[in-house]
Amino acid sequence: MNWNPHLGDLFDWRSRAVFARNARVYMRNWRTAFLPPAIEPIVSFLAFGLGLGAFVGSIQYQGSAVGYASYMAPGLLAQTVFATPFFEALYSSYVRMFYQKTWDGILATQVELRHIVWGEITWASARGVGNATVVACVLGGLNLSGVVHLQWQWLPLLPLIGFVAGWSFAAFALLFTAVVPSIDHMNYPVFLVGVPLGLISNTYFPLPVHNPVLAVLVQCNPIYHLSESFRSLLLRGQPDLHLLWLFVSSAVFLLICATVAQRLVRRRVLGE
Amino acid sequence: MAPSPLLVARGLCKSYEGSRVVDGLDLHCDAGTVLGLLGPNGAGKTTTLRMLYGFIEPDAGEIRYGAKPFAAHRSACKRMIGVCAQEDTLDHDFSVERNLRVYATYFRPRRADIDKRIAHLLDLFGLTAHAHQLPAQLSGGFKRRLMIARSLVHEPQVLFLDEPTTGLDPAARVEVWQLIARLREQGLAIILTTHYMDEAERLSDQCLILSAGKAVAQGAPRELLGTILGEHVAIVPAAQIEPGALERWALAELGAAPARVLHDWHVPLTAAQLVAFSVQFPDARFAVRDPTLEDLFLQLSAGGPAARPRTP
Repeated sequence: MNWNPHLGDLFDWRSRAVFARNARVYMRNWRTAFLPPAIEPIVSFLAFGLGLGAFVGSIQYQGSAVGYASYMAPGLLAQTVFATPFFEALYSSYVRMFYQKTWDGILATQVELRHIVWGEITWASARGVGNATVVACVLGGLNLSGVVHLQWQWLPLLPLIGFVAGWSFAAFALLFTAVVPSIDHMNYPVFLVGVPLGLISNTYFPLPVHNPVLAVLVQCNPIYHLSESFRSLLLRGQPDLHLLWLFVSSAVFLLICATVAQRLVRRRVLGE
Repeated sequence: MAPSPLLVARGLCKSYEGSRVVDGLDLHCDAGTVLGLLGPNGAGKTTTLRMLYGFIEPDAGEIRYGAKPFAAHRSACKRMIGVCAQEDTLDHDFSVERNLRVYATYFRPRRADIDKRIAHLLDLFGLTAHAHQLPAQLSGGFKRRLMIARSLVHEPQVLFLDEPTTGLDPAARVEVWQLIARLREQGLAIILTTHYMDEAERLSDQCLILSAGKAVAQGAPRELLGTILGEHVAIVPAAQIEPGALERWALAELGAAPARVLHDWHVPLTAAQLVAFSVQFPDARFAVRDPTLEDLFLQLSAGGPAARPRTP
C-alpha cells in the first residue's frame, strides 16, 4: 500500500472546489439540512440533561459535585462533534458516490480522487462545526439562565477544536463508505462502531474506569478525550492533558484513516 | 502539411487479474475530426477510454495530448479534454445553468468570461429556456445536451463522447448528430463510441475497430468496409437454402460463417465471391446491398476474419 495520504492536497484548490460544491448544495437546502440535525442534540439535552438530570441530581467530577445537566453539556457537544462528520461522511458521501454519481462527473475534470476524499472529509468536519456552534449557543443561553453552570468563555473555542477532531471522524467514516456493499449495510458501522464508541466515551455518564479492559478501550477512544477535554474547559475553566491527547490521537487517526480511505475509495470507484 | 494530432496513444496495454484487456493499442485523433472507437462488448473500449481520461493507469504505453505526455502533465492534459460519459453524471442538486457554472470551478485557469461562455453554451444547445430547471425535469434528449454542454464548459480541444445517443428517440438522436457535426467544424478532436453503426458511419472520419483488446482495423468507414467485408452483402432468406449448406460454403470460401439476423443470412462478398455464390446456389433468391458497419460489427461478434488484426 502507498502510505502517502497526500496531505498537501488538503488545501489544494481542487479539494476546495469539492468542498465548495457541497457547501453550495447545503446552502440551497439549508432548512432541511441544518435545522433537524442541529435541533436533535438540544432535544437530547432537554430529555436527558433536564429530564433525567432531575432524578440523577449531581455527579462527582474531579472531586466536586456537579449537576447532571452541567456534567452532560460538554459531552453533548462532543457527541455532536463526533456524530455529525461521522454520519455526513457515511451517508451523504455514499449517496454522492454511489447513487448520484457526483464523484464520477467530477473525476472527468482536473480534480483527482484524492481531492474528492479530502474535500469530503473537510466538508463533513465543517458540518460538525456548524452543528456544534448551534449547540454551543444553546448551552451559552442555558448558562445565562442558570440551568447549567459552565465556564462560558471557552464555548466559542470548542467548535474549532471540534473541527480538528471532526477531520479524523470523517476520515474514519469514509473507510466504511468505501467498502459497504449497499446503503442498508450502513447499519453495521453505525450500530457496531459508532454507537459503542459513543457509549464508552464519558459523554453522558462517567464510566467505571476500574475495569482494566474498559479503561484501555476508553483511553484509545478519541471521543473520550474529546468529551473530557471539553468537560475540563467548561467545568474547570482550564485545559488538561486530554486536549493534548485529543490532538495527537486525531492527527494519528486522520493520517491512518485518510490513507486507507483513499486506497479503498480508489478501488471502489476506479476499480484499481 | 498534415495536422498534428491532438491525441496520440501508443502501445497501450492494460491487464486485470492476468487477463489482457487492452493489448498494444495505438490510436490518434486530429483537430476537426471524429474518431469512432468501435467494437463488440468486451472488446476493450471502456478500459481504453478510462486510460485516456486518466481514471486508470496503463500498464504500458504512452498517451499524449497535443505535445504533452499525459503522465508528466496530467493536470494540463486534463484541462485539454472534455468527457461526456455514457451514464448520467449530472449534478441533480443544481439547475441546468448551475450545473455548468459549478462544473467550471473544477478547471484552472478559470475563464474570466464564464458568464458569456455559459450563455453561449445554453444558446448553442437550446437550453436557454430550461436554464433554471433541474436536470430531473428535462427529457432524455435535453439531459444529453446538457451533458455535452457541460463537458465543453472549459473549452476543451479533445472531446470524448461515450455512447452519446443511447436511449434517445430518433429525433433527439438527429439533434445530437447535428451538434457533433457542428463541434467538429469548430475544430474539436472528437472520440466517439457507439453501438449504433449507422451513427458511427455518418459521424466518423476514421473508425478504429477493437476486438479482444486489439485494433483489428483503422480507416475511413467506407474504406474499411471495402477492405474487410468486400463490396456487397447478400441477404439470403434462410428458408431458400438447405440447412447447413450456406455455412459450409462460407467457411470454405470466405473463411467464416455468415451472420444470421432473424430469418436471413447476411453474407459479405466481393464481386468475385458474389459470382461464385450465384453459381453455387443457382436457385436461391436473394437481395444484394452495400455493406455497412453493422455487417462488420456482426462479423466481429461472430469472430470472423474482421476480428483478426490486419497488418497495414
